[in-house]
Amino acid sequence: MTAFIIRRLLYMFPIVLGVLLVTFTLFTLIGGDISQQIAGKNADAETIAEIRHEYGLDKPLFWSWDSQFVNHFKKALFFDFGRAMDRERISSKILRGIVPSLMLTVPMFIGVIISAVSLALIIAYVRGTIWDVSAVVICVAGMSIPYLSFIIFGQYFFAYKLDWFPIIYLPEEPMIKSVGLPILIGILASLGGELRFYRTIMLDEMRNDYVRTAFAKGLSTTRVLFKHVLKNAMIPIITNVVLTIPHLILGSFLLERFFGIPGLGYLMIEAIGARDFFVINAMTFIFSLLIVIFTLLADICYAFVDPRISLK
Amino acid sequence: MQPRGYWSDAIRRLRKRKLAMLCFWIVAMYAGLAAFIWIGDILVTHLDWKIPIVQWNEHVGPSYQKPAAQYEFVPEMKTESQKGWCLLGTDFMGQSTFRKTLYGAKTAMMVAFCASIISILIGVPLGALAGYYRGWVDDAIVWFYTTLGTIPYILLLMAFAVVLRGAHIGPWELRGSVSVYLAIGLTSWVGLCRLIRGEIIKRKESEYVLAARAMGCSDFRILFFHLLPNVFHIILINFSLRFVSFIHAEVILSFLGLGETDKPSWGAMIDAARTELARDVWWEMAAATVAIFIISLALNIFSDALRDCLDPKLRMD
Amino acid sequence: MRQTKAYLIICCILAAVWGCEKKKTAADGEMVICRPMISKVQTLDPTNTRDIYSALVVSQMCEQLYVYHYLKRPYQLIPLLAESMPAISDDGMTYTIRIKQGIRFQDDPCFPDGKGRELKASDFVYAFKRLANAKYASQNWSVFDDRIVGLNDFREYSKGFKKEWDVDYSKPVEGLQALDDYTLQIKLTRPWPQILELALNDYCTSPVPFEAVQHYGVDIVSHPVGTGPYRLKTWQRSSYIELEKNLNWRGELYPSEGEPEDQVNGLLADAGKPVPFADRIIFRIIEEDQPNWLLFMRGKLDVMYIPKDNFDKVMMPDKKRLMSFMQDQQIKLTIFNDPSTFWVGFNMKDPVLGPNLPLRKAISRAIDRQKYIDILFNGRVQVAHGLVSPGLNSYDPNMADYGYSRFDLNEARALLKEAEAIYGKPIPKLTLAMPGTDTLPKQMGQLLQRMLEQAGIQIQVDYMDFPTYMERQNKGQCQMFISGVSASCPDAMDFLEMFASKYFAPGSNKFFYSNPEFDALYEQVAVMQDSPDRLAWYRKLEHMILDDYPAAFMTHRITFYLGHDWYKNYKPFVFGYGVLKYHRVDVEQREQFFNRIHSSKKEGK
Repeated sequence: MTAFIIRRLLYMFPIVLGVLLVTFTLFTLIGGDISQQIAGKNADAETIAEIRHEYGLDKPLFWSWDSQFVNHFKKALFFDFGRAMDRERISSKILRGIVPSLMLTVPMFIGVIISAVSLALIIAYVRGTIWDVSAVVICVAGMSIPYLSFIIFGQYFFAYKLDWFPIIYLPEEPMIKSVGLPILIGILASLGGELRFYRTIMLDEMRNDYVRTAFAKGLSTTRVLFKHVLKNAMIPIITNVVLTIPHLILGSFLLERFFGIPGLGYLMIEAIGARDFFVINAMTFIFSLLIVIFTLLADICYAFVDPRISLK
Repeated sequence: MQPRGYWSDAIRRLRKRKLAMLCFWIVAMYAGLAAFIWIGDILVTHLDWKIPIVQWNEHVGPSYQKPAAQYEFVPEMKTESQKGWCLLGTDFMGQSTFRKTLYGAKTAMMVAFCASIISILIGVPLGALAGYYRGWVDDAIVWFYTTLGTIPYILLLMAFAVVLRGAHIGPWELRGSVSVYLAIGLTSWVGLCRLIRGEIIKRKESEYVLAARAMGCSDFRILFFHLLPNVFHIILINFSLRFVSFIHAEVILSFLGLGETDKPSWGAMIDAARTELARDVWWEMAAATVAIFIISLALNIFSDALRDCLDPKLRMD
Repeated sequence: MRQTKAYLIICCILAAVWGCEKKKTAADGEMVICRPMISKVQTLDPTNTRDIYSALVVSQMCEQLYVYHYLKRPYQLIPLLAESMPAISDDGMTYTIRIKQGIRFQDDPCFPDGKGRELKASDFVYAFKRLANAKYASQNWSVFDDRIVGLNDFREYSKGFKKEWDVDYSKPVEGLQALDDYTLQIKLTRPWPQILELALNDYCTSPVPFEAVQHYGVDIVSHPVGTGPYRLKTWQRSSYIELEKNLNWRGELYPSEGEPEDQVNGLLADAGKPVPFADRIIFRIIEEDQPNWLLFMRGKLDVMYIPKDNFDKVMMPDKKRLMSFMQDQQIKLTIFNDPSTFWVGFNMKDPVLGPNLPLRKAISRAIDRQKYIDILFNGRVQVAHGLVSPGLNSYDPNMADYGYSRFDLNEARALLKEAEAIYGKPIPKLTLAMPGTDTLPKQMGQLLQRMLEQAGIQIQVDYMDFPTYMERQNKGQCQMFISGVSASCPDAMDFLEMFASKYFAPGSNKFFYSNPEFDALYEQVAVMQDSPDRLAWYRKLEHMILDDYPAAFMTHRITFYLGHDWYKNYKPFVFGYGVLKYHRVDVEQREQFFNRIHSSKKEGK
């Protein structure tokens, strides 16, 4: 087991290296210079040169101990991404955004998982009937509506027209009030896809021999479903959950934007509007790193839970 | 090697599914419409033809008229007023929502098609090379796509779109739609590449490849004339499955201001509703949403059926 | 059993979360002003503030030497940190300014023992030098370039250092001297009659204590230390900014003089009372119109602009009065001219547009500005017949008679023929750079494209984010561009400056407009003291520009300002921002409003 973990840990390095190469290519080689924006509308050439110097954009690209390429790696290594275009520390921007993002995504995620798994169990119970077919059609239909329409319509109808929810996050009110509607919309919008995913897992599981045996022993369908199928389906479910956690921290950027929740998704959209490559770069790296780590965790969980997985 | 009747078999199986065939015709209709508008657009802009249904930017009434409402207005360059109505109402400039929705089909199809082509052009050769040669080529390619796959898709898409927009690559400047095609295409070939690689590895020791090698065929010939045609169905299935997600990606890019800007697109129409709903203008968003809904639903059902018929064992993510 | 327990725990957690019911916005009797802020605030460091959103916040916390009187019109400068108006030498080159005694900075950890120290003349010298510090790279330097004796040398000198805070501020600048603790002397390189309006009244010359700069370093952007009536309490970037009273403030009385109407409008009811009135000010940062609108209608914002999509619903067709349901809510409307001008600019360096006056004229004639306004702005802007906007001293009310902005398709077509003759072949497709990729810029682009097409002029609109736009504009890569400017003082000098060839982009002349005759006259007029003669010269300069069509001037903004009845002492004030100290909220009246909507909601259910 230890050897397995160490091997997987070593495997992380080339991936992280690759991510850094990709971000460097994107933001430094193709993206180009953003000093003009910081320097202001009527800035002279000197001011622009000064800003370029401040952000290290005047350094050579490669082939120097102090090149932009080396600094790109240094930044990532020490998690010191410097300052954003508005001169706030990027790390403090990101730290501030984590909690609001989690407030939104964690309940949403739990809601989706619980409702999707339980509905999937019900569908597994009625599999093959007209209910099953219509559920699948509804799922696909739900997946076919653009996410943006879900949000715009949901916000308009439930917040503006019916006034059931606050329209936007107000700092003086508890967060829980403002995230109600986005959570609801998020659950509704992603339920279709998730339900279809879990239904497939359940039905796959039901084709197994042990299920047939259980039925043959005369166990009731409910018992088979809850005692056996759900238990075994837990492996893919948990893997899926672990792999989703980094995305939870990232937040749901469209929902955050529409409901003014100052999370990381919002931060990302803001950075895109301002072409703040420093922030986009830091976000991309940190979340890729999180995904690498959580993929490793998922693999380890998998290996622990399922002894059939070989550790090679 | 696949049996001779593989494709005709698959088509026969597909034909038996009524719903799937219905969906196929819907998709075909959208594609036909897009092609018609594409050609029409060229005729209108370059040869000054008059094809009303394609001229989305024609002034057909006062701004923000409700669907099917009767109105009177003075057309541009004229003095006397005339009566008119619009099936799906008009937008802020008095342009027909109906024509814009139709034109949006062209925009969406172009985005999805071009992005698919780009992702196939990258994913298939890389996957094939990795699977066929293994060794360091394989390591390098797997490393590369694992890296890209590690970056959260939505972050990667946004990053590509924002960087590519207006970027200069050599002497070319990437304008609006091209940067959208590239951003979506460059970020979505990983899954396909992985599948092709797996499939090639599985097949490269099969008899027909060994036979070809024994006959002295070059690696290139084996790879592109013997192996790739046999994994074509995977490309096709992947293509049909991805198509929907590309259309949805365009909507999100439009919202971020990174999409098509000077031609109507469904994304831009939905985005416009953000402010327009305040004055009870719902028809633009509704038209675009329904248009997306129908094509997505049809494509989803059809591609599932296609997968079942071509390769029941295959499952994507 | 185990399940029941789990359920109980979940219920408890939920109850606990719901239990932390809403914290109240205001403690009882506390006066809080809540205002909308439609853009993110970039910085709270006055020396580097250039956009109006940052200025709106900064100017409540930092003060300058002079400000405009809140009530008197025409606008009149009065001393703020200065004790009196400056003593100006006869040649107009030396300004001697006495500074009020006993002014203290707000308390801040950057001072020893945390107590704000007294403001000295040397603080102003420091502020100016900091502005000039090349390593600090202030956005406001262009205002001071080549104005003050020795300041440019200081800028050169500062370039020799590595970092901003390494720069040695003790190096003297001849033109900037603290004669004693309370006397500041400024020597100019040439007369600058607008120095009071453009510089000493501007928030960028607010004194910033060097202790704060040393203590906070780059983080000073979020730790403003000023002498103003308010101080920063919280700045949650992209959510809200909260200011509280600065207890160190010297105090001031509400003005007791104003225009005759002010008495009638109740603006003098508080005359002589100590300001500031409000205990706290909250700026809610919400970029979308509709949430702001709803918050205003529910009384969570005191004041509001009218979003374009709500305009038809709340305004009478005459576009002057509110609908009766708004009046029933006791919402008051103030309409006033915002001194700003927007235009479609032409790049005079462009080989197609630059040498072709008929073409530029044809474009201007082909744009139906009234229709543009009706469709896109709902009458919230007015046609610009010239460069200088209403509200400025040199604005000519009869500008429309000259017909620079008239719409005439036939003339446009005729001019286009002429233009093609000059160019030698059909005019190629022109490109218009549009800042912004949102719905409104897209609509503007489409409409302009259509209008020009009718005259036979083909354009392509390039939508880009603001950073890209600015970069291209400064590099002269935009053929045509949408742009605009807002005046910061009643003097139109900074409008005219945009066409002087010495300010080529990246300076303010984004048109690359160059006219030796204009330049020569501009140099003469720029050093003239205010007089009726100068007014005539200003107008002459404006006409020289208009005759050359370096831009098709489009619109001036009109502000439609809504305020709840409880929001008192509001008067349009367009040249400066630090006036929230005069505004007052009638807390009781606001409470009544809340009770009213609360009960009507209950009845509704």
